Amino acid sequence: MTPAVSQVLADLAGRVARNAAPNIPPADRAGELGLSALLLGLAAEMWDGAAEILVQENAELRSLLAAGAKVWGEESRRRWLEALAQGRDESLRLSALQSANGELKVALIALHAELERRGDPDAKALESEVWRALAAASDRRRLSGSPV
Amino acid sequence: MEETELVQRLGAYAAAQMPGAQDVAVTEIARITGGASRQTYRFTLAWTEGGEARRRGLILRRDPADSLIDTERRVEFEAYRAFHGGEVPVPEMLWLEEGDAALGSPFFVAEEIAGFQAGTGPLWTAPYLDSLPALGRRKWTILGQIARADPTALGLAAVLPATRAEDVWRRELDHWEGVLDADETEPLPVIRAAIRWLRANPPPPAQKVAVVHGDYRTGNFLYDAQGGIHGVLDWEMCHLGDPLEDLGWSFNPVWYFGQGKPGGLLPRDEAVAAWEAASGLTAAPDALKWWELFACVKGQAIWVSSAKTWLDGANRDPILVYPAWALINAQDRAALKVMGHL
Repeated sequence: MTPAVSQVLADLAGRVARNAAPNIPPADRAGELGLSALLLGLAAEMWDGAAEILVQENAELRSLLAAGAKVWGEESRRRWLEALAQGRDESLRLSALQSANGELKVALIALHAELERRGDPDAKALESEVWRALAAASDRRRLSGSPV
Repeated sequence: MEETELVQRLGAYAAAQMPGAQDVAVTEIARITGGASRQTYRFTLAWTEGGEARRRGLILRRDPADSLIDTERRVEFEAYRAFHGGEVPVPEMLWLEEGDAALGSPFFVAEEIAGFQAGTGPLWTAPYLDSLPALGRRKWTILGQIARADPTALGLAAVLPATRAEDVWRRELDHWEGVLDADETEPLPVIRAAIRWLRANPPPPAQKVAVVHGDYRTGNFLYDAQGGIHGVLDWEMCHLGDPLEDLGWSFNPVWYFGQGKPGGLLPRDEAVAAWEAASGLTAAPDALKWWELFACVKGQAIWVSSAKTWLDGANRDPILVYPAWALINAQDRAALKVMGHL
């Protein structure tokens, strides 16, 4: 999640402390604390599963990039995908998982565009896999109050 | 700026705008939470004129240190002023100040339309439930009236940047893709695929170059429990363009609010019928699909900008975090749905 949950929680801590002061106008206090409560609720929902979601997503992305490396003829691009596909999530810190996720998604976007450009049966089959993975990732990230 | 200073400076500003008034004072000021692009306050202006004591409920909309949406407040002000007194209900605009001298940042003051709801919270509970279909018909009828309006006759053609019917889609897509390029803090494979599709499958030229509200959705108008709408708000993204852009934005699945229908109000075919009847225009399915997917790109650009604004640190309002956390994945899901992949 961006901004990172840890950053937002630190900011909310300061905000809640400031709103404990007696001279804050009631409407301002109500607004700030109401929003803070909403964000705390979202953070609580995201927190437990956040690492697992990123680990699963990164594994799926690496699998797609490995498949992509087999169909992308251009040498430097193929090596790029192969290198990313062979990576592992050594650290389970959310910041590290998120950083790896970003790198993998940049490559996925490039691969997806290449598959669309080629349009042959192999490319179309892998493109279907990309769409399935993107839908599955959005399912995993879906919050209970999501409008979609 | 502390509230006491704001009250003092706003009172002095109002007094300067009202040469016939004495004892001008700002009272009962209260911040209205929820706006991420402007700071909004409700207040009462009291004064004496011709020996008679008078009071009026007003709204102050002031730019924060770092606005979520970069817009000219003159655009918003002039859009309200253009529609005031016509069939599209909007509050009356009083004063626009584009400099920083009076209140530290640009602002405008408008009449308060009191006694109605704007937030979506109460909408799906009594006493509003029974009037949802009527409210939905009214909502898309008004949107059709905005589409039917003549920008030149309203005076808006002189204020809003001109565009050509065949260029509107590219201009809007270029703009919002540019916002994503500048503000994206993590890669967005779904939205980037949506942009590629939009560029590969452009819509037909707009039927007319119309006034586009830019953020016409449930939550941006004042409503009552009988299905009436008393004020269309939040015109800050108003521009000239394809009237289907507003219809597509109103059909963005994130504005279904989990109710399974556009705006959480009305089945899609009934909404389209109300819009077509009021606008005199046609919502061709392929063209409308293009603008619905574009709405997903635009929405994502706004949510991403919200996260970027917070991360940059100039504005740490918690309201900026909410769309980033609650809507970025939802907007991806909306785009997947529109493209038929969910």
